[in-house]
Amino acid sequence: MAQSIIKLQASLMKDYYKNFSKFLRGKTPETKIAWVTSFAPVEILEAMGISYYYPESYAAVIAASEKEQPLLAVSEDQFLSCDCCSYSCCIEGCVQLQEGPRGVPPKPDILIATNNQCSTLPNWWNILAKRYDVPLIVLDYPGERIDRGVAMEYVTAQHKKLIEELSRLTGNEFSAERTEELIQNSRKSIAEWKRIVETWSRHDIEPTSLFDDISFLITSRCKPETAELYSMMADQISEMPETTKEGIPVFWTGYPLWYHPDRYLRPLMDGFRVVGSNYITWWIIDYSGKDIFEQLFNAYNYTFLNLSQQTRNKQLGDVIRRSGAVCAITLHNKSCKCDFVSARDIDIPQAEIEIDMIDRTFTDEKKAVAQLDILRETLCR
Amino acid sequence: MKLLSMSGFIPEPICDTVRFTHYSGSRNISHYCGYASDFISQVMSDDSIDGAVFPHTCDSSRIMKSYMSDSGKFMYQMNVPIRGDDIAVRFFAESIKDYQRHVEEYYSVAISQDEIKERSELVNRRNAAVRELYNDLASVSYAQYLEQIHKALCLPLAEQTACISGVKKAGSRGTKRAFVVGSFLSDTDIAAKIEEYGFVVVGDDLPESGRLSSRPEVTPETDIYASIARSILHSRISPTQNDFSGLIRRDLDEMKQRDVQAVLFISQKYCEPYEYLYSVYKKAMNEAGIPILKLSFTNSEDSQKADLLLESFADTI
Repeated sequence: MAQSIIKLQASLMKDYYKNFSKFLRGKTPETKIAWVTSFAPVEILEAMGISYYYPESYAAVIAASEKEQPLLAVSEDQFLSCDCCSYSCCIEGCVQLQEGPRGVPPKPDILIATNNQCSTLPNWWNILAKRYDVPLIVLDYPGERIDRGVAMEYVTAQHKKLIEELSRLTGNEFSAERTEELIQNSRKSIAEWKRIVETWSRHDIEPTSLFDDISFLITSRCKPETAELYSMMADQISEMPETTKEGIPVFWTGYPLWYHPDRYLRPLMDGFRVVGSNYITWWIIDYSGKDIFEQLFNAYNYTFLNLSQQTRNKQLGDVIRRSGAVCAITLHNKSCKCDFVSARDIDIPQAEIEIDMIDRTFTDEKKAVAQLDILRETLCR
Repeated sequence: MKLLSMSGFIPEPICDTVRFTHYSGSRNISHYCGYASDFISQVMSDDSIDGAVFPHTCDSSRIMKSYMSDSGKFMYQMNVPIRGDDIAVRFFAESIKDYQRHVEEYYSVAISQDEIKERSELVNRRNAAVRELYNDLASVSYAQYLEQIHKALCLPLAEQTACISGVKKAGSRGTKRAFVVGSFLSDTDIAAKIEEYGFVVVGDDLPESGRLSSRPEVTPETDIYASIARSILHSRISPTQNDFSGLIRRDLDEMKQRDVQAVLFISQKYCEPYEYLYSVYKKAMNEAGIPILKLSFTNSEDSQKADLLLESFADTI
């Protein structure tokens, strides 16, 4: 069974990366190419035969391959401040040099940015639009800030306009039926991922594997292989004995540290055991609704980072309670203000560590150790 | 009712607001753009303010409500579309109605359609006064022009046009024709320094100046809310409206018309829209052969580095 999991992972990754650098020498891709942000309604693109790539995810791969520093330096030479999101700085360096650990994503024919995660992504996509001189579509998701009916009308109008523009770009017809199938695939992927999220901490599993394995939910959630993969993983986990590991149960609030082999500060966290993370719950989105447009609205308008502070407090509080964590390590992430403020009102002791998810030089390790010591002492009193 | 507002996207025809310009007290928030941080600090510490209205257009403004929710004051975060098409106009019109409903409910007032139309006309007149000065910017002191606009934006709408019309034509001593790009220029000392070092500002795209002057009139249509929405969204755009190419093209056209020799790009540290804009704006200026200086400040009163940088830059023009 383990072999099948590895085979499925390899197959999904091979499919995703197969076109990286393939078209550098002027060959034309078979499908139109879109670069999208992490919470774009990809079911629409998949239904219309468009291949899509995630620059954010590739930045994580670059950092995991220990290649981010030279690219961050090139980005500064391109006048992009290092105060900006490190995902964008990393990719700016990658596309400027046309270099990356797995090559370079194929040149986009269209760029699609959303603001249901942060407001920085549309700004970043604007500079990509200038670089590639291709159309930029920005999808505006109002979240909970206005009456649901008004929000749904706005989002649905945008989704329909997106379909028209993609149809013009590709010459392909949109199929509501096919989109419904793809939404169902996404639902299944999420349901199986949820099984993993709800059970992993009871067994001898490091959060590292979850931080890495969620990538399929991000990049391939509407592919049937993703649900199959997660189902196998969930089954495998359920067959494992319960863990006997000890340690102060701690919640990791924030992004994984992509540059770190463990994806979190494991070597500094003696005496702690990570039992939960909010990042691994972000793509558990809800496709409920009576038709595809309502389903896409619910899924993409109410993403966690697009919710009000009050709703986020409740949801994050629930996730923390279910995890059994008695304290939290909260990342004050240089690259993501929106995530950091989510932890503002959690009512367990927390150590707030200034860090960046991509730039390994940003962390002051001595200070982090001191903060973790204080947290440990606070809990042991 | 004293509502502190941040951003030109807040629809003034609904009710009077006091535009946030700068803050001098204790600073509480350090890791967001200085303008947003100072806004939060003023709302929390100034007892004369009983409410705040602000947009949701960038990451700093996005999180503001989280920091001010315990203030016990009226809070409204405006749903400003980040696109400018007809879909966005319709949505923004609904957002404006929603804002009106919240103000009426909280303050137990009723705002009539006639009042909104009258206030729209006052906005049109105020913007026309700004436009008149903007179209001949070289004939006024840029620092005094901005000071007067900032002063006006803190007054009731009915008094703003007279305040702006009070800007005297003084002529400029500078000879280096400059264009200013940036977010709201809180610290008008910077404008004074710009002139001190021999620049004459002939154009800008600041929200309180170039952008305000470009605003189409609110017309007395059947749907006044759609008209207000259209007027705001169809002004010269902010980088938060996500059309960097259009923004740069428009600015370059104006620079050519006004024979601009230098660009001064002024922003707050941690202001993502302007940081991203700068990376492509700089390249566009390099291609056009127009020298550009970037000034980055940490809060609404920070002008420490400006002297040295402006002086050195002026020497190169």
